This record gives sequence, C-alpha cells and structure tokens, in this order.
Amino acid sequence: MTNDTLLSVKDLKVYFPAGDGIARAVDGVSFEVRRDETVCLVGESGCGKTVSALSILRLNPVPPAEIAGGRIMFDGQSLLKLDEESMRRLRGKHIAMVFQEPLTSLNPVFTIGDQIGEAVSIHENIGTEALHRRCVQLLKSVGMPFPEQRLKDYPHQLSGGQRQRVMIAMALACAPRLIIADEPTTALDVTVQAQILQLFKSIQKKRSMSLLYITHDLGVVANIADRVYVMYAGAIVEQGNTVQIFRHACHPYTQGLLASLPSRLKRGKRLYSIPGVVPNPAFKPKGCPFHPRCPYAEPVCREEFPEMCDYGDGHLARCPVLFDKRDL
Amino acid sequence: MTNIQAKEFNQNFQFDQPLAPKRTRWEEFWLLFRQNRLAILGLFIFILFFLSALIGLFLTSGTNPVFDPALIRLQEKLRPPLAEPHLDSLQPEEVPRLDIYLMGTDDLGRDVFARMLQGAWVSLTVGFVAVGISVLIGIFMGGIAGYFGQHMLINTISVDTLIMRIVDIMLCFPSFFLILTVVALLPASIYNIMIVIGLTSWMGTTRFVRAEFLSLREQDFVAAAKALGVSNFRIIFRHIMPNAIAPVLVSATIGIASAILTEAGLSFLGFGVPPPHATWGNILSNGKNFIFDAPWLTFIPGIAILIVVLSFNLFGEGLRDVLNPKLRERG
Repeated sequence: MTNDTLLSVKDLKVYFPAGDGIARAVDGVSFEVRRDETVCLVGESGCGKTVSALSILRLNPVPPAEIAGGRIMFDGQSLLKLDEESMRRLRGKHIAMVFQEPLTSLNPVFTIGDQIGEAVSIHENIGTEALHRRCVQLLKSVGMPFPEQRLKDYPHQLSGGQRQRVMIAMALACAPRLIIADEPTTALDVTVQAQILQLFKSIQKKRSMSLLYITHDLGVVANIADRVYVMYAGAIVEQGNTVQIFRHACHPYTQGLLASLPSRLKRGKRLYSIPGVVPNPAFKPKGCPFHPRCPYAEPVCREEFPEMCDYGDGHLARCPVLFDKRDL
Repeated sequence: MTNIQAKEFNQNFQFDQPLAPKRTRWEEFWLLFRQNRLAILGLFIFILFFLSALIGLFLTSGTNPVFDPALIRLQEKLRPPLAEPHLDSLQPEEVPRLDIYLMGTDDLGRDVFARMLQGAWVSLTVGFVAVGISVLIGIFMGGIAGYFGQHMLINTISVDTLIMRIVDIMLCFPSFFLILTVVALLPASIYNIMIVIGLTSWMGTTRFVRAEFLSLREQDFVAAAKALGVSNFRIIFRHIMPNAIAPVLVSATIGIASAILTEAGLSFLGFGVPPPHATWGNILSNGKNFIFDAPWLTFIPGIAILIVVLSFNLFGEGLRDVLNPKLRERG
C-alpha cells in the first residue's frame, strides 16, 4: 500500500446464509483506489460488485450478511474496526455513495432542497441562509437548470436524469474524498447516461476526488476508467489500467466479455456469448470458478483456485494457464 | 449534445421563469384539500366543534358561568328544545341566559345546552389526549419493531417478536373491560380516563406502523440516507415516519372518534367523569330513562357524537389524500 492509496480492500469476504449452505457472495476480493483516480469494478449481475461496494460503507445488513474476513483501509483507518458512530460520521462526509435507482433513492415526501440540505447539515454546522446558498450551488454544479426553483420540487416532479443529478449533488454535499457510484446510469436512457458520465468526469477533474464506479457496461468503463477490476463469482479475475484490459485482456473471462461487445467489424455476424451461466454463489465449482465456461480449461483448473499472475506494470490476471502460454 | 451546442442552446433559450407557476407547500396543500368537499365539511364541523368546546369551557366554568350546567330547576324539568321558560316560577338568577331552553332541560331541570357545551370540552380533550398517547406509543413501538426487527435480544428473541407479542397480549384483553377494571381501581377523573384509553388503544397503530416500516426500510432512499451518514433515530423518525404517517393519521382520526365513543360508553355506564360534571355520555345515559317522554335527552348527545365522529373520519380521509405526494399533480 503506497502513500497514494486512498482506499484499499484486502481479501474481503462477505457471506450470506442461503438455505442450509452459505452463499459466498464476495470471496477474497482485493482492490485499491488511489487519490484522484477513477476505478471501475466490472462484472455481470450477481458477481458481488454491489456487495463489495456496500461493505466499504458497512451498509450490508448484518445479519444476514456476515463479513467473514478481510480488511478495508480508508486513509489509514481500518473501516471494519470502527464503531458504528464513527462509521456514521464517515459516511457522506468522507465516502459518499450514488445508487443505482435514482427513481427510488430520494425520499418521496421531502423536497429535494430538504434532502440536499440534510446531506450538508448532518455533517456540518451551517446557518439556514448559508445552507440555502450551498444547496443552490450544489445543484448548479451538477448542471441542474433553475436550481433555485428546483429546490422546492418533490422528487416525483423531476425526470430520472434530474433525480440522478440530485443524488450526485447530495453525494458531493460534503466534498467527500471518495464517491462510490453503484451503476448510477443503468436505469437511465443512453443520452442521459452520456450526460451523467460527462458530469462525473468533469466533477472528478474539478474537485480532485476518487471515484469507484461499479458497472456491467464495458462501454462506460472505456469512457471513464483509469484502472479496471474485473470481477467474477465473488473474486477479482483481472486488474489493470484501461488500455491493458481493453487491448491485452489476459483472462478468458475478460476476453469473453470483450468478444461479446458489438462492433463495426462484427456487423451482420452473430455476437459471441460466453457459454453457461454465473455459478450460484452457494454452490461454486471447486478450483477456478470460471472453469466450466472456459475454453482454455485444463485439469488443474478443476482442482486449484488460481493465483494472480503478474503481467507487469500493474496488470494482473487470475489465469495461470494463459500465463504459461503467453510467449507462445 | 456537445458542450458548445449546450452553451448555445442555453444562450438562445434563457427562461426567466420555469413554465409552471410555483406555489408554496401550504398553498398547494390547501388547493388540493379544497377539492375534497366532504373533507372540507369534516374540517368545518371539526373547527365548529373545537370552537364550541373552547368557548363552552369558558362559558360554563367559573363561579357564575354564563350557561350554568349544574343549575337545578325542578319545576322546569323535561322541557322540550326551544321551550320558553316559565318566568313566573323562576328566581331571576335561574332564568336561562337566552330566555329559551335551546336544547330543552333534563329530569332535574338543568339546561341541556349548557351541559352539552361542557361535555364538548370533555369529549374533545379525551379524544385528542387519548389518541395522542396511543399514537405516540404506537409510532414508537411500531417504528422500533419494524426498523430494528432483526436485532436479537440476548440471542433468544428478536425485538420484533418481543414487541409484537406484547401487542398480541394486549389485544387479548377485551379492552373495554380492561378499561372498566382500571377505572374501577383508580380514582374517577377525566385524566385517568384519557390515559387509560390511550394506554389500551395503541396496538392497532403499532401494527400499522410496523407494517409500513417493514416495506419502507427496504426502500432505496433509506439505504441512501444511511450512506449519507444519517443516524438510525433520524432515519426512523424523519425519513421513514412521514412516509408511514398516512395510515396512522387515518387510524388516529378514527381513533379520536372511538375514544370519544369509549368515554361516552364509560360515562353511560357510570364509570366515567364523576356526576356533577356533564359529558355527552352521561347526558345520554341519564336520558335513557326518559327516552319516550323526552327523546331529545338521548337524541341530542347521540347526534352530536355521530356528527363529530363522522367529521373526524371525513377529515382524516381528506388529509390522507393530500398528504400522499403521489396523488399530487405537477404544479
């Protein structure tokens, strides 16, 4: 862990009871977010992205969720060891979160002015006048037209994109050092999605903060990420910077994901799809969790959970088979 | 749209005002509420009831009240409503203030109008205080049960189980008899009755609130509030409660009505407010002995209870519609 690191998650394990077994939703995930950096966590539905993100803020309901192991360090503090009260003071102030569903993430009975105001006043002592000015300024900074008037609106009077802007304004309220965005554009249509991504980029540039962006959309990743972590079945399978991931994917899963993207070159052809489905987190296959779907699977994959192989320059992939073949 | 295009767009179309006119929350509230005729009627009757109870309190209390509910004129007993007093048989200070018995007199010749005024205050305070107590307990217990339900106490039972079993136990008692028992043991006073009614009627609210909380606590806005660092206490009472308040309000208005009825019932049975003080219940109870000779003695308090209870229900339903932001129009 270098000085540059803002957030580091080490070997995080989050388990849920599932029937008579245990669903290992997150099983030994490690990643880092450096200062002023945008990191993307990519993976398909159910691979543990959201659970990992919620664990950082300790928002997984415990029980049923159980943090079975690991360490989360934020700016020198171990988040898993903090008591609930210090954790509460940290949420929103130093780490803020933007959720997937802007339509339901705002309280329907309060005006957005109330809600943005609360985001500020919970962590800061601030007078009514100053609070109002701050809210207007926050709304302006997320590109909301007529911020003065919008403050008096209720969430249902706004469109989805506008609501997501409000959510972002709330996340920005106390100038946090890290924003965790959990698929913030999934519920929005493509043009609004582009605007929101643009907004994230410009805010991040202006305010010097880190962004942990969780998505399943590789197009979004290519657009905003500095570094990328690819998750599969509760584990990181590949990590690297954007160029490394998109140009030189070294894990069969990442390669499969990239191959299934539509592009001009593939016009008229049938799109590739990775055979099979994501394993049930309660019944993960022994060895490499990807081996039943992997075109390169060898007997060893069925036996041993693969180690991370270092391709140099921060590019790692959890596939020894391809690592051994890399020079061939 | 690129940034340059966006800038041009904004320069070309500078609106001074948004297109829809803006109103304050109260204006909007009132505009919506006004559309519901029955709710307005309910509100009107409620205000009338409130004012008459308040004015009645002043006009019927003190050493020399304007309308004396306790003044006995045996020679003028069971006069019908709007009867003129027989001035020759009355002392000057016994003559009713308006020179007329607006609602007649009872078997002791007491002015029923004065007694109704005095009773209105009793009904009003019993209704509000009892429901206030029960709603406060209900919201607190329901909120805790719904929100912290999963938390285990000493690893054996959950908070939710504990609270809801207490509710079940309380519901097992026939509440009217519970109230009768408690009232029989306590000194008869209006405050004891309010408190007892309040303490025996919070279970319904608790169930409502818990049910609302169970669904609301899974909502994204609760997770979002948590992610902002809002405390549990604040989430319960400031974020979830306003969303859960609609059924509570409706049940509270019905609760006020039923508290008024319970008090009337207790007074009717002679367990209520001690006799010289008039309440609608004991006027009714008193009148039942003369129901064929003097029907107004039962009809007047009966209809008063009916109208007040009905107005509360109408008002409550109107409130529910207005407080639900989903029913609001854009404006």
